[in-house]
Amino acid sequence: MNVEISDLTRRFGRHQAVAGVSLQAGPGVFGLLGPNGAGKTTLLRMMATVIPPTTGRLRLLDRDPATHGPRREVRRRLGYLPQNLGYYPGFTVAEFVEYFALLKEMPAARVPAAVATAVERVDLSGKAKAKLRTLSGGMLRRVGIAQAIVNEPELLLLDEPTAGLDPEQRVHFRALLRELGQRATVVVSTHLVEDVGAACTQVALMDQGKVVFDGTPGELTARGTEQGTGDAPLERGYTAVLAAARA
Amino acid sequence: MTAASAPAASRPAAARRGAGSAVLGSGRLLRLELRHNAMLWLLPVAFALFWYNGYREIMALPPMWNLRAMTLQNRLLFDLMVPAVGAAAWMGSREGRRSITDLVAGTARPRWSRQLATWAATTAWAELACLICVAVVYLITARHASWGGPLWWPVVVSVAGVPALTAIGFAAGAWFPGRFVTPLVTVVVFFGLAFGTQATSGDHSYWQISPLIAGAFDIGAAPGVATFYPYLPDLSIAQVMFTAGLTVAILGALGIPVARMRWLAAVITAAGLAAAGTAVALAGTGRLDPHGMIAIPALHDAAAGQPVRYTPACGRSPIPICVHPAYAGFLPAVTTAVGSELTEFAGLPGAPARISQVAPVYQQETGNGINVSAHVSGASEFIVPDPLPGQPGGTSTQFAANLAEGLGLQLASRVILGGADQSAGAAPSQAKLAVIAGSVRFPSSVESRDLAPLYGQVLPEPGSPASLAAKRFAALSPAARHAWLAGHLAALRAGRVSLAQLP
Repeated sequence: MNVEISDLTRRFGRHQAVAGVSLQAGPGVFGLLGPNGAGKTTLLRMMATVIPPTTGRLRLLDRDPATHGPRREVRRRLGYLPQNLGYYPGFTVAEFVEYFALLKEMPAARVPAAVATAVERVDLSGKAKAKLRTLSGGMLRRVGIAQAIVNEPELLLLDEPTAGLDPEQRVHFRALLRELGQRATVVVSTHLVEDVGAACTQVALMDQGKVVFDGTPGELTARGTEQGTGDAPLERGYTAVLAAARA
Repeated sequence: MTAASAPAASRPAAARRGAGSAVLGSGRLLRLELRHNAMLWLLPVAFALFWYNGYREIMALPPMWNLRAMTLQNRLLFDLMVPAVGAAAWMGSREGRRSITDLVAGTARPRWSRQLATWAATTAWAELACLICVAVVYLITARHASWGGPLWWPVVVSVAGVPALTAIGFAAGAWFPGRFVTPLVTVVVFFGLAFGTQATSGDHSYWQISPLIAGAFDIGAAPGVATFYPYLPDLSIAQVMFTAGLTVAILGALGIPVARMRWLAAVITAAGLAAAGTAVALAGTGRLDPHGMIAIPALHDAAAGQPVRYTPACGRSPIPICVHPAYAGFLPAVTTAVGSELTEFAGLPGAPARISQVAPVYQQETGNGINVSAHVSGASEFIVPDPLPGQPGGTSTQFAANLAEGLGLQLASRVILGGADQSAGAAPSQAKLAVIAGSVRFPSSVESRDLAPLYGQVLPEPGSPASLAAKRFAALSPAARHAWLAGHLAALRAGRVSLAQLP
């Protein structure tokens, strides 16, 4: 398993953002669903080794990220796209991706080819030399995805990756997710259940810091056949599980 | 986005990552940082500030290496301070301002290493600006200077000061990321540097550690300093030790929050602080040496006290005047200022065959006061007065007046009095004083009472019979005065010439 989490918690002062989450994920696309404030982003930040958990056990890529050496090794094999992507406006697309390739300590000789590949995979080859300040919000999101995948990560964490993408790009992105998921563990946090239905092999639903559902998209859909609300089957499963958890 | 399969990537195992790849990676990172550094865009500002504040003043100085090098040290860091500290603070706060902290926190390269790359790029551009300014000043000075070569210690101090400035700015930006930290830290460092130099008091002051101070505070860049004797590097060494220690301490402190490197960073910080503290303590033991520079006993090399060998530059006046070759450009002005006295007294008994410039002697007084004197023997030696034309407050008229009051009066007194009256302590006759007063071309501003405390002579009071006789004598040409003195000097010295007998 690339991701092994048990009883993970995280507190910010008096607020408990993540309250005892246990999950396991191997290669494939893992969808993380949940309403605003459910704790998805905090869970992803812990998995990205940006913040440490308050309690619980976290193992990534068969390593314990609590200690320096393994954490550094995990980070070399990690791709992360945060919810709010900051960027340096003066950098070009290629420079920004190269910057993160170097920060991920990729072998320098491999960097130029890896950058070109990553930029091409997000359909930004034509904009490789464009300054980031000139790009639209959707293009910036794709730049964020490019920097996340530039090192061919074994563990890819994407927080709201399709926010701002147009429908065509979203379709392309789902295809990319499926391709990446063939050999890496891709964890996608999203509000958009159609993304989960189209690309994910496994899905977890979080609410109030806890995982209230863990299964396949089909199993989630099945939960909504009788009492869920929504336009799509998966949405009905989503609302049904949430309603049951809050009942 | 395409789902085309990516090229098979060989996994970079930690063990296989060679040092060469790491260096190459760091080099590429540095190149990126250099290309996108705020200091690059502030280079024109740095050059404009230096041109306005430092360059014009330095170039107005006489082309003497000591004057220009020491003034350069005093000005350059101050002029670079605003762009360097500002750019460093801006770059240091970049991750926080751009909300990219989470993104970079999840990468393998340690934060310390990442920050050092950004700081190094900022510092590299600031150093480039510093070196370009030095190169311009030194190249122009090399074309105009009549003697000597570049003084490198002031340059070393400035070059070592730049990383300290950028480290202060960068650390402030990294620790307090925000838009306002840049102007705030720039203003604080500006006033810190400015007031730091003003706080200096005497040769034992700890504040001499400021890298803007190139010598004793009250004389600073003086023509007589580091001309007859070598430039003493004592204070410069302490200043470099201080700025290097400060830089290391600040950069080390940046690494303290990194858990695994906390101890290493703490040790580096402590070492830097120790170096900086030691340097401050050393500066406090400084003393003004007789040659006008600050000597620090623990750093002092006794061999540096040997005078510099030189071949003097001599004029062709009736009594030749010889100056240190660094002053060669001022020889015509010196000769002109006392030309009539040289013609008048040449060949007379007691007149020197040659007059040579000697080194001034500096002595620390209370506070920042420094006494400048000369150990001259007879009328054959003199010191070229400060300030030279071109130095702050120095004009050609003032320079000539200072020479007349110094060398001219010294020469006239020596020849007319013959040394006898001074050594015996007897008051010279009115006729002798009238001849002295008539021989020396005092500027119109000089009154008799001005000179009394300086030379032990009381020149005739305006309107007195002696004063009238002096004016009468002064109306003669130098050749006529020489002819009269050739025939009457012995009688004049013996007191057998009255005021009425003066021509």
